[in-house]
Amino acid sequence: MMLLSLLPQLVVSGISTGMLYALIALSMTVVYRATTVVNFGHGDMVAAGAYASFVFGVGFGLPFLVAMALALAVLFLGGFAVQRFLMQPIIAAPHLSLAMMALAVGYTLRGGMRLEWGNETINLPRPYPQDVYMLGDVVITTDDLVICGFVILLLAALFVLLQVTPLGKVIQATFQSQRGAALVGINVPAFHAAMWGGGAALGAIGGIMLAMITPLTPDLGQWTLVQGFAAMTLGGFGSLGGAVAGGILLGVTEKLLGFYVNTMFIEITGYLVPIIVLLLRPQGLFGRRTIVRV
Amino acid sequence: MAEPPLLELRDVTVRFGGLVAVNAVSFRVERGEICALIGPNGAGKTSLFNAVSGNVVADEGSIRLNGQEISRLTPHEISALGARRTFQNGGLFPDLTALENVLVGLHTQVASGFFGLLFGGRSVVAERAATARARTLLALMDIAAIADRKVSALSGGQQRMVEIVRALATDPPLLLLDEPAVGLSPPARALLAGVIRRLARELGVGILLIEHAIELVMSVADRVIVLNEGRKVADAPPDAVRADRAVLEAYLGHG
Amino acid sequence: MVIGRRWFWLIPLGLLPVPLLLNPYQQYVLNTALLYVPVGIGFNLVVGNLGLLAFSNVAYFGLGAYTSGIMMATLGAPWWLTIVPAAIVGGLAGSLASIPALRGVRLFYLAIMTLAFGELMRWTYIRWESLTGGSMGMAVPTAHLFGWALDSDARKFFVFLALVVVIVIGTDKLLRSRFGRAFQAIKDNEVAAAAMGIPTDRYIVLAFAWGGAVVGIGGAMFAISVGHLSPASFDMTELILQFAIIMVGGLGSLMGSIIGAVIITIAPQVFISFPGFAELVFGLLIILVILFLPRGLASLVARVHPMFVERYYRG
Repeated sequence: MMLLSLLPQLVVSGISTGMLYALIALSMTVVYRATTVVNFGHGDMVAAGAYASFVFGVGFGLPFLVAMALALAVLFLGGFAVQRFLMQPIIAAPHLSLAMMALAVGYTLRGGMRLEWGNETINLPRPYPQDVYMLGDVVITTDDLVICGFVILLLAALFVLLQVTPLGKVIQATFQSQRGAALVGINVPAFHAAMWGGGAALGAIGGIMLAMITPLTPDLGQWTLVQGFAAMTLGGFGSLGGAVAGGILLGVTEKLLGFYVNTMFIEITGYLVPIIVLLLRPQGLFGRRTIVRV
Repeated sequence: MAEPPLLELRDVTVRFGGLVAVNAVSFRVERGEICALIGPNGAGKTSLFNAVSGNVVADEGSIRLNGQEISRLTPHEISALGARRTFQNGGLFPDLTALENVLVGLHTQVASGFFGLLFGGRSVVAERAATARARTLLALMDIAAIADRKVSALSGGQQRMVEIVRALATDPPLLLLDEPAVGLSPPARALLAGVIRRLARELGVGILLIEHAIELVMSVADRVIVLNEGRKVADAPPDAVRADRAVLEAYLGHG
Repeated sequence: MVIGRRWFWLIPLGLLPVPLLLNPYQQYVLNTALLYVPVGIGFNLVVGNLGLLAFSNVAYFGLGAYTSGIMMATLGAPWWLTIVPAAIVGGLAGSLASIPALRGVRLFYLAIMTLAFGELMRWTYIRWESLTGGSMGMAVPTAHLFGWALDSDARKFFVFLALVVVIVIGTDKLLRSRFGRAFQAIKDNEVAAAAMGIPTDRYIVLAFAWGGAVVGIGGAMFAISVGHLSPASFDMTELILQFAIIMVGGLGSLMGSIIGAVIITIAPQVFISFPGFAELVFGLLIILVILFLPRGLASLVARVHPMFVERYYRG
């Protein structure tokens, strides 16, 4: 292999992108764990989060953190409402209907975003100065630091929330057994809606960061969805830790394949991963085969 | 050379991971004979049943249908060879009507091919003939009136009837009934018992059934096979098993 | 369809004089509705009848369209000769997409994989510039039918009508036979279907292949109707449009595919198109249909008279 000297650089920038994927995959996994429905409209919610932050920050001129907080609130409410009013009523419907409903919600959102902002590309202004640092031969940008730092902090906070707080215990319990949770008095439908809201808000954070480093268009959601799926597939569908691991793995793999094999891999790794992984191991990399009971 | 038994199991063993669900079980079912498989929960009845129908692969032993080894075949291959089964939790196809369900039962005998359908006429004739046969079958069981109703709209007893008609559609020599009486009212059970007896006596169908309803078992079975913890502990006519109080009390809870 | 054999022919016969009444633009819209009928039919066969979440329909559509267009542009083939290759390519792609299903991949996993497959195809159209003209797209030469130039929308209409009638009849024959019943059986209860002697793997591939082939033919029609192919025509917006067709029309219903194709193509003409409007409207439509009319418009039609109820047998 030539140019091994570039390996550290590729790994570092791969981890940085991977952190974003991890966040998005995590937000999708939260939704999936709660209701076992894959939200095919999640990518568009991520994009909506970025647009919301744009509206509050640039449109209303509010400070970055305020705009972000408002965007998160909006997305939380949005995710909550979608689950409560559109998904919950059809909870017993065939899987196709659930998938279609989620997809249709995403499309409606996307259509709305496109109507409002056409096909102009928007860049969310960064709230921090852009700079570049050198670690040996490796270039590290403030983007890398901010993204990695923020995601790590967020993951740590989520970890604490889940493992230490009473709320976290409730969440874990309900993830494991809905019937058990209902028996103990937990309001499971409200939980479902709250988890969709939480997942949407988490995704919105990812969207905001994404919109700072890449141009924001209404079609960002499409790409985000695919990358999120690829990360979830790599890490094992439904595993929170796996989503993070899968995201980082995806980011690094893209960069490595893109440099050492062919640049096209930067674009298509996300498409190839679900196809190849699920063909070889239909239950995902870390999943377990389900036995069909006769 | 004597004719081989309809169904013969020899030392059949089924394991799931470390658990031995069926342990070296052997028995036979002859044509026109009704054999009931009973035992407490977890005795291995369902696993044994599934091994015969191909839904589960036996780890050891041999299963022969009319002398032919079937233990390594897939469910659809075994079905094509003449073993038909019903399912505990509704094996009917809810979006299809009773008639269409029976037609699916006839699937292997409908002589319509892909290209024949598109371009020929013989396939269409075969399809019409199949439909006529399905209607006749439903009439034989006195349920012709529900032929065009979606089975999801039928009562439990009616659904059970449709399932049995469907299983019988191709005149299978061996019928596997998986808890046919579950959820049925006493009159419906009596009707079911009558149907099972007619199938064996008049049509010579060999029947293997799993059942928890002891009265039904005792009234229709020619032989009762008792399983416990994966092993066969009794294989005798109902009276003999009933007299074996120890068997009954130990494994059924009450006589 | 149970609308008796003779009655059914009223529809295409009744449509024959229609070109006399329409201006070229209206004719073009009607042609578009026609070509989306096989697209809906193929999609519905796998998703509605077989019940598998295969989201790769746009891949077959695009492959059929590009096969036809490329053969015409680079090989100089007359359009009628490209129909069969388009169907074959679509059918092969469908068979390819059925592989994960054969390995037991179902539900959301299958949806994700087939979605990725569709997007991978679109990426291929963009990247294989030498063949497809890349993002800028390619022009499709005028179509000929045995020397008769199909240079007006009215002429294309008659050819499209003939093709659609053949496809509808063929699919109807397939559905009202042991194949159609087998598809439904596999959808309702795969294990029980196998217990009836149905070789489920073979039938899954058959449904995917037929569906892909039929959609591929729709793609070939699309190529000469639009006259210009670009990868943007085969993105996820197109997917939601095709979903809208089968959901609004009625999942698993042949009649529904036809109704859906007509409504989804013609209705948007009623309002002016801004970027994003189509997505918004189709998205809302699907949401409403799922909430209030899950079996689509075909279920409403079926309630009108028993003769409109679709069956899976003959006789």
